[in-house]
Amino acid sequence: MTEYRSRFRTLTDGSDGPEDADHHIFIGPQHPWCEEPAHFIIHLKGERVVEADIRIGFNLRGIEKAMENRTWRQNTMLIPRACGICSAVHQNVYVRVVDRLAGVEDQISERARLIRMFSCEAERIHSHILWYGILAHDAGFDTLLHISWRDREIIMDIVEKLSGNRVNPALMLPGGVKRDIPKEKADWARPLLDELIKKVQYHRKVFVEEASITNRLKDVGVLTKDEAKKTTPNGPTARASGLPFDVRKSTPYELYDKIDWNLVCYPEGDVLATTLVRVDETLESLQMCKQILDQLESTQGELLVRVKQRIPEGTYMARAEAPRGEDVHYAIANGTDKPDRYKIRAPSLGNIDATLKRMDGEYIADMPVILRSYDPCFSCTNRVMLINENTGEKMILNQDEFARKAIKAKKYNRPFF
Amino acid sequence: MSDELKELESILNVTLPENLVEETVKVEEGHFDLLVNTKNAYNLMKILHEEAGIYHLSTVSGFEKEDGFNICYHIQHRIEEEFREVPINFIITKVDKKNPKSPSMVDFFVAADYYEREIYDFYGVYFENHPFLQRIILPEKWPDDVKPMRKEYSWEQIKEITMKIAKESLEEK
Repeated sequence: MTEYRSRFRTLTDGSDGPEDADHHIFIGPQHPWCEEPAHFIIHLKGERVVEADIRIGFNLRGIEKAMENRTWRQNTMLIPRACGICSAVHQNVYVRVVDRLAGVEDQISERARLIRMFSCEAERIHSHILWYGILAHDAGFDTLLHISWRDREIIMDIVEKLSGNRVNPALMLPGGVKRDIPKEKADWARPLLDELIKKVQYHRKVFVEEASITNRLKDVGVLTKDEAKKTTPNGPTARASGLPFDVRKSTPYELYDKIDWNLVCYPEGDVLATTLVRVDETLESLQMCKQILDQLESTQGELLVRVKQRIPEGTYMARAEAPRGEDVHYAIANGTDKPDRYKIRAPSLGNIDATLKRMDGEYIADMPVILRSYDPCFSCTNRVMLINENTGEKMILNQDEFARKAIKAKKYNRPFF
Repeated sequence: MSDELKELESILNVTLPENLVEETVKVEEGHFDLLVNTKNAYNLMKILHEEAGIYHLSTVSGFEKEDGFNICYHIQHRIEEEFREVPINFIITKVDKKNPKSPSMVDFFVAADYYEREIYDFYGVYFENHPFLQRIILPEKWPDDVKPMRKEYSWEQIKEITMKIAKESLEEK
């Protein structure tokens, strides 16, 4: 094997592609296949892929710089916006970093930690179900897309009931959580979780037994363990290639070491393995959610500890297991109420390289499922307009106007528009 | 030799020459900061990669201090039998601000390639022996001499430059 080099190197015209390639396919930044902006360049010889490459940076929002300009408290609400779908886990890492730097880490009650964990696990469930639905769609099996997305609504309802929002629960604050999960809501959620477990078990059965989708995914885009060690993927992408590392197990945070759960790892390395890792993880997360609800009944404690506005000097790196992999945050505090530097590394960036490696030598027809296999999320990779959902009316506001309108709407209890 | 360095050595099962390491800090149980200067960084990383067998690089982050830029390689020492990871923040300190140069770690980690390019993009740190040191993430029309994450550029200035680029691209069409 020739020495492997990383991707992200192609010029826009593809003139530096490999010599034996006879066709170059350009996908994106705007393309019906990609829901999010990225520019893929696929070099082909006949029907086989010689090399695939990517250009990123179409969705750079400058969150890291913006955070240096805001207070720690304000950033609590900015940080979930780093990613469209795994917002709770970003907030979880952030509040853990601030807890540690402010020195209140030991004072946070078990009840607050359990609620944080519930939010993270519920997010993992809906993110994974969403993903394997889209994968089924890419593999040409739309029935499963419709079935899985229908069933996903159950967990979305639970998240909405417990937090008030569907995809951005924003339950956490430095020092604890914002709201409690009362007993009535927990009792309401329990039968729904049981129902969802049955449904996900059915999805798993489809993926394992239904030949039309299994054949489409099996032995496609194999990433061996050695290649995985070289290209350093993380999360489910790595666990499907036999690297048994999950941040929840390897460096336990919150109360993950006190809950009973299994690490999911498959050695095959093909796209079917990445799928099954996620389906099995969904089942694991569902039973973890049930455990957390049970434990909440017997655990009492203060929900929120006071954290001072000024965070003392210090640095800290924290990691968490996001649905897509390992989420790394590194913070430097300088004694004021604003961070000196805040670095976010969301999991997708680490997975792109390994995924493009999977494409070598594969058929062009397998490209959609392989590229989908790492669960692309480009707002993570790179870092206000309001639309009225009834009329489609658009309104562009600056920050002050938005704040004024929001206060008025709250005060007089009337709609925003 | 400090106790922290000894503890790290016993976890990694290698000897780290004391003259290469500037300082070792134990952040918490099984989480270390390893401070090193630009001269010794390459040799120390070589020991960590080849002898201790560290292969996972989570990310590279840059930050600015008064005495120069710092570059932090977040690496993980993985113990597969125990499903355990030991995070190490490998921090290269005091990279000269006027002529920022640092050794590239592409020889050890494939992933260092694009993470280092991100630092080059944001801070303008030049990585020696990097095979393809070019911009990766900033917009194509971004001025080459503006390194947005440096402290000399305020949030307002960055906003102004961004709006200017957006306006120009709109006018082109």
